[in-house]
Amino acid sequence: MIFIAIVIGCVIGAVIGIFTPMIPYTYSGYLAIAIIAALDSVFGGIAATLNKNFDLKIFVTGFFGNAILSILLSYLGQKLNVDIYLAAIVVFVGRMFNNLGIIRRYYLTKWENARAKKEQNVSEKAE
Amino acid sequence: MNKKQIAITLGIMCFALTFAIVIQLKTVSDNTAPLHQSLVEDSLRDEVLKWKERYDSAYNELTVSNNRLEEVRKQATQNDVTSMAKQEEITQNNMLLGLRKVTGPGLEIVVADNNTGVNPDGSESLDLSLQVVHYNDLLQIVNALNNAGAEAISINDQRVVQTSSITCEGNVIKINGQRISSPFTIKAIGSPGLLSGSLNMIGGWLYIMKQDGINVQSNQSDNLTVEAYNGVISYKYIKIKK
Repeated sequence: MIFIAIVIGCVIGAVIGIFTPMIPYTYSGYLAIAIIAALDSVFGGIAATLNKNFDLKIFVTGFFGNAILSILLSYLGQKLNVDIYLAAIVVFVGRMFNNLGIIRRYYLTKWENARAKKEQNVSEKAE
Repeated sequence: MNKKQIAITLGIMCFALTFAIVIQLKTVSDNTAPLHQSLVEDSLRDEVLKWKERYDSAYNELTVSNNRLEEVRKQATQNDVTSMAKQEEITQNNMLLGLRKVTGPGLEIVVADNNTGVNPDGSESLDLSLQVVHYNDLLQIVNALNNAGAEAISINDQRVVQTSSITCEGNVIKINGQRISSPFTIKAIGSPGLLSGSLNMIGGWLYIMKQDGINVQSNQSDNLTVEAYNGVISYKYIKIKK
């Protein structure tokens, strides 16, 4: 059910995105920051699910809140002539790598456990 | 929260994310957008301004350093007759090279485009291009001034030195690599009568320009100041032959 909803959401988003008019290039930088923030939230959500402490409320507020906040901060930076968006990119991408590391470690231990079990079975059979 | 709600929330979020990503991809791949071009133009203009500022500040520093050098030289040569003569020679040479602000009697000419399209005799001009000051006019004037013995010439405060070129770059005229535009103020130091005569005589270049309908003024003056050359004369290939 959840999986189907995700796929449907992605497809509808892509189709509507293809047929909407382009946004001005000046604002595409802000959109890029928002996308990075949202992707960070998604990876954070996956990592939280694996750690079994996933909370939908935190996830949703983080997803939209981070995106909007990063846009506002980039805008403020533009007005002050400081490249705040660089800081946002560093933070979000750094966190993304952290979360990817958690995900990787989770699956790595899972895989190793499975292999150890298999070997145990083989040795049991040999006996 | 039941599973249905979770599914719907996640679906909406995925929708927002893919929607944003697709729009962003479309915008970035379409880099022929006029707004994008203007953005690039703006940043290039910013860059030019920044470099100009930097150039100006560096040039100011250079002027200050030159003045200090001059002072130091003066002090060092105070009690020495030979070095004092050398110092005098350096100053003289700099003046001849155009690296010093100089003053003297001469001729001040102002030529400007005529935008009315009317000849001096009241008839309408058939060729408007004739009423615009071209780079060739400036070249001819400078040439005539040099021929009449001008010792220092500047156009819109750009000193004409040995390396100066006057070129036509589309609709602007460049001298010493700097853009200048109408009205052009040409100052020349030399014998005022000779300089004026060489240009204003019948068949002289200012006479021809006046006939074409260009706005021409020339004033003889006893006290004219010509700015120093504000660039650097560098050389790479020439050597003294022994």
